[in-house]
Amino acid sequence: MCRLPLPALAALLAVAPLLLPEFTITLLNYIGLYAIVAVGLVLLTGVAGLTSFGQAAFVGIGAYTTAWLTTTWGWSPWLTLLVGLALTAMIAFFLGFITLRMGGHYLPLGTIAWGISLYFLFGNLEFLGGHTGISGVPPVTLFGWELKSGRDFYYLIWLVVLLAIAAISNLLDSRVGRSLRALKGGTVMAEAMGVNTPHAKIVAFLIAALLASVSGWLYAHLQRFVNPTPFALTQGIEYLFMAVVGGIGHVWGAVLGAGLITLLKQWLQDWLPQLLGQSGNFEMIVFGIAMVLILQRARDGLWPVILKQLPARHEKRQVATAEILPKRPLAAANSVLLEVHEVSKNFGGLVANNRLSLRVAAGEVMALIGPNGAGKSTLFNCISGVAPATDGEIRFIGERIERMPSRDIARRGMSRTFQHVRLLGQMSVLENVAIGAHLRGTQGVLPAALRLDRAEERGLLAEAARQIERVGLGEHMFDAAGSLALGKQRIVEIARALCSDPCLLLLDEPAAGLRYREKQDLAELLGKLRNEGMGILLVEHDMDFVMGLADRVVVMEFGEKIAEGVPESVQRDPRVLEAYLGGVD
Amino acid sequence: MKKTLLAALLTAMAAGAQAEINVGVTLSATGPAASLGIPEKNTIDLMPKMIAGQKVNYIVLDDASDTTTAVKNTKKLISEHKVDVVIGSTTSPNSLAMIDVVAEGETPMISMAAAARIVEPMDEKRKWVFKTPQNDAQMSTALVEHMTSNNIKTVAYIGFSDAYGEGWWNEFAKIAQARKLTLVANERFNRADTTVTGQILKILSAKPDAVLIGGAGTPAALPQKSLKEKGYKGVIYQTHGVANNDFLRVCGKDCEGTVLPSGPVLVVAQLPADNPVKKSAQEYVSKYEAAHGKGSVSTFGAHAWDAGLLLANAVPGALKKGQPGTREFRAALRESLEQTKNLSAAHGVFNMSAQDHLGFDQRARVLVTVKQGAWTFIK
Amino acid sequence: MDLQILLLLGQDGITNGAIYALLALALVLVFTVTRVIFIPQGEFVAYGALTLASLQTDKVPGTVWLLLGLGIIVALLDGAKLLRERRYAKLPPLLIANIGVPLIAAAGLFAMPPAQLPLALQVLIAMLLVVPLGPMIYRVAFQPLAGASVLVLLIVSVAVHVALIGLGLLFFGAEGSRTPAFTELSFELAGAPLQGQTILVVVASALLIIGLYFFFERTLYGKALRATAMNRTGARLMGIPPALAGKLCFTLAAAIGAFSGILIAPITTIYYDSGFLIGLKGFVGAIIGGLASYPLAALGAILVGLLESYASFYASAFKEVIVFTLIIPVLLWRSLSARHVEEEEE
Repeated sequence: MCRLPLPALAALLAVAPLLLPEFTITLLNYIGLYAIVAVGLVLLTGVAGLTSFGQAAFVGIGAYTTAWLTTTWGWSPWLTLLVGLALTAMIAFFLGFITLRMGGHYLPLGTIAWGISLYFLFGNLEFLGGHTGISGVPPVTLFGWELKSGRDFYYLIWLVVLLAIAAISNLLDSRVGRSLRALKGGTVMAEAMGVNTPHAKIVAFLIAALLASVSGWLYAHLQRFVNPTPFALTQGIEYLFMAVVGGIGHVWGAVLGAGLITLLKQWLQDWLPQLLGQSGNFEMIVFGIAMVLILQRARDGLWPVILKQLPARHEKRQVATAEILPKRPLAAANSVLLEVHEVSKNFGGLVANNRLSLRVAAGEVMALIGPNGAGKSTLFNCISGVAPATDGEIRFIGERIERMPSRDIARRGMSRTFQHVRLLGQMSVLENVAIGAHLRGTQGVLPAALRLDRAEERGLLAEAARQIERVGLGEHMFDAAGSLALGKQRIVEIARALCSDPCLLLLDEPAAGLRYREKQDLAELLGKLRNEGMGILLVEHDMDFVMGLADRVVVMEFGEKIAEGVPESVQRDPRVLEAYLGGVD
Repeated sequence: MKKTLLAALLTAMAAGAQAEINVGVTLSATGPAASLGIPEKNTIDLMPKMIAGQKVNYIVLDDASDTTTAVKNTKKLISEHKVDVVIGSTTSPNSLAMIDVVAEGETPMISMAAAARIVEPMDEKRKWVFKTPQNDAQMSTALVEHMTSNNIKTVAYIGFSDAYGEGWWNEFAKIAQARKLTLVANERFNRADTTVTGQILKILSAKPDAVLIGGAGTPAALPQKSLKEKGYKGVIYQTHGVANNDFLRVCGKDCEGTVLPSGPVLVVAQLPADNPVKKSAQEYVSKYEAAHGKGSVSTFGAHAWDAGLLLANAVPGALKKGQPGTREFRAALRESLEQTKNLSAAHGVFNMSAQDHLGFDQRARVLVTVKQGAWTFIK
Repeated sequence: MDLQILLLLGQDGITNGAIYALLALALVLVFTVTRVIFIPQGEFVAYGALTLASLQTDKVPGTVWLLLGLGIIVALLDGAKLLRERRYAKLPPLLIANIGVPLIAAAGLFAMPPAQLPLALQVLIAMLLVVPLGPMIYRVAFQPLAGASVLVLLIVSVAVHVALIGLGLLFFGAEGSRTPAFTELSFELAGAPLQGQTILVVVASALLIIGLYFFFERTLYGKALRATAMNRTGARLMGIPPALAGKLCFTLAAAIGAFSGILIAPITTIYYDSGFLIGLKGFVGAIIGGLASYPLAALGAILVGLLESYASFYASAFKEVIVFTLIIPVLLWRSLSARHVEEEEE
């Protein structure tokens, strides 16, 4: 994550009111208010991949709470801030609980739905002033200093903006942050690495909602008037607009987007009548066209474009050393780790796995082979809890796991890679691998935002670096994972799996796309892991690789096991030959 | 009117060349209230470019019917353009939101929105705020009187699901209950709704003697057409919000016999010659129609016109106490506005006081019906 | 509540639902082929209705100028490309289609007062003025972004919507319009009056839906669109250019939108900004269909229409609150029942 020199910017912002004209300050105030909401959207939509049109409703909850409590009951604004946050958290938790279960496009529409509902609710509740609104909201006082003018309020707004940016940047650069970023690649990988994804989604949603609520509180006391229109769906769309135009993947993009859109509207308001005359209303038209053009030129938003213009910054390219993380006790040599008993998996009428059984012991490499479509990856998914088995029993170190979500299985010491690589292409190899260490840390959102998690963070990153060195990708540690060749990306996945300190490793076609030398290195690594007492179950098509490495082999065809044994005997099995060569005639 | 202008001209000439007067305008030329804001915007172009020998600049900003933008515009007008007076905005929420800003900027403001709350109760902040449209209460009283004298006992209401529909309901319900009318239904619809069948069926099942529709512009035609389509035979009342020709065009023959209160400007040609408003209203109508075509005038534009008249009337007095662009001038302008007496405008006769920043009396409203597709004066 | 009210509300809900259904189908089509969530779909409804209304009052509708303006931009964009590739033979058809035709249309409207023409011809002219805007908008706004993420396409879609709303206000003014009914017939159904136009809306929608079905099942272009919807890369390999598929489905969407507008203009008042809410409700229907299934989308849209109708009877002030709150559990149910092992989208 990019870090501008925050102190310099803070200093610049601090002297700004002394130099700038009144209305510029007014605009900066609004930009700040919008930016706070947009920063939340960066976290929710840009990082966690959850699109929300409903943020304006949360702004409304914050604004209405304070407006009602201060005008009708005379409460202090500082108290109502807390009440507003609590209320927002409750409503957001409830809405998130329902809507965040939705996948794909159900979620954005769900947010539109409650956005509209809440807007009309504000307008139709008489005690909230109905559609006409509540006037006479008092200004905020701080130690007897009344923040009445825009200049005074400016400091409060931008203090909140900077705090929000600092907190979110810190958060993204942490264990929790990585788990949130993992959501964008889909929940399967995150869950397999032990991330509680429903929990992570709610966390992102709550943070975004609370930021919106704070913005609403500030809005109410700046405007000193509250009515429903600023919290309508159109404003919710506008917040998303700001975040996308600025650069939805970047915290500073939110500020840029909020600033750009606010200023663009002002320029259009000032200049268009002079160009086109005052009779028509061309602002909306030109605004819409300008937005289309901007996104056509910079589809990732403007912040990345600006970053490219700047000279490449000197980033820290070193991982601090730290104590080695505690490891789980090894299973006794040759004890059974995994026991699959009569497992079946049906998709509708299709039987993908039919009463399959196998065992993997500690210190053993077991290979699962078979033609395409034999059901190998399906079995992997059953074992790792990604798609639970329809029938049968799976035991892992003596415990039944066939009904467990994959994060619980991961916690017990099983880790896996995927046939279709599931890395986050924009993130560095180091960060990708560190996701694997998720379960080896405990620090949550608050410590991360306040940077109280650094000791643990050093440990996790050092561990990730160690695993990267171990698989031989040390030189790529700081490269974006997406820039690596596909074969190397598979190795990154292995490093990520190793980072979780597993006792059983599930590898789905780890050697595909590797060159001969790299395959040898991989075989050597897996051999070493086996000698350390790890159990390995792997799916692979490269027969030389499999036969040279595996202790035992299970052959599948049409969802059933057709052979099992040591490589030499399996290679001679007539049914296996038939399956692979289409019969020996 | 001409006399005052002349007098002002003379004083101004005596005072010699002075700074220009800046008038800031924020109105809703786009967004949901655009049908109100556009004629207002058109009217600003017709306002005098010189008052009392001073050049007047109008800075017109669109607030897109949004309170945040209205406040932003007001701050811009006051701090950037250093305006001496703010005219606006079109809707009540926008105007209410602007009160704090103009009070802090010590700049007089003339609102073109209806809610009485904009100028009542009078306090330290509202002393800077004036408004030109009649209060909904004033209009409601006229309707309720018409209802009671026509032997109507039960009334149903259907209004916009926004500040306009809500404001009318609140005022109308208060007065109707005081006059022993029974309110049998209170329904809402959205401006852009494609159907109001549900609301109309509900109203019909309550069997009201009359129905009041609280909407502005062409959208108010939909409930009326729906009522007629479902065979409703009672009296249908509309509010002054519908008073433009587009409404008649869309509503067509379904609007025959509809009764509504309005400012006299709507039926200026039919007013008796002794009506004090006739001449001043006629002036506006002929100016507007000269610029925008026959039948284009709307009563909303006339609210903007009246704001301009108030201003033109108050500026000469204020010029004596200060230069435009100064704090003294703005304060003097406020005082001068407050002292407006017997000013005939398009919608009525203004008589302001420290307590009354609207200053309209009974002369500011007439009852109008639709006869053969045209607005027709009743009394 | 008696049976008659129940029937009338049902009838009202189905009429609106039929329009939502048409829009839902268009939205599903556009999304599956181009991944664009086409927010401006509703603007075509308004443009269609208001263009027809302008023609009937003998005004030259502003859409002519938009057509001409967009036509020139498309001709410039594509013309420059043709010149660079030295494919001069393709230039004349491009210029004729994008500049010549709108010019002729404009000239024709000035030469001949359209208000005198028979209704069917007016409808045809209105459609001819509005429908080409669809593919032109695709060419200008969306084609350069073909590979962008769904979120970026959505935001561009919102930007196009904003621009079109602004243009609509400029062209048609803030006040609404109605057009005369196609038929003045009126029936009685179980004691409740039933307008001929209402039946027309439902029947025309149903016919259009059946027509679309045949288009997709029986015609080459229809099959090409379906193929693109199922697998974009595969369709490209089979020789179906994605830009063509995009233009084709935008044409269809514009036609469906404009036609819907013309259908409902006699039974309601249409404003320059009416489209958004109508489109949004069509969108709800489309989402209920998972943005993939046409019959479910149509059913979902009719469900929205019915919900709206009954909610406006019971508690009109809270109509939107009721409709959109009740939608949430439906969405949840649809989302959960559509759940499978995800393939990540990035």
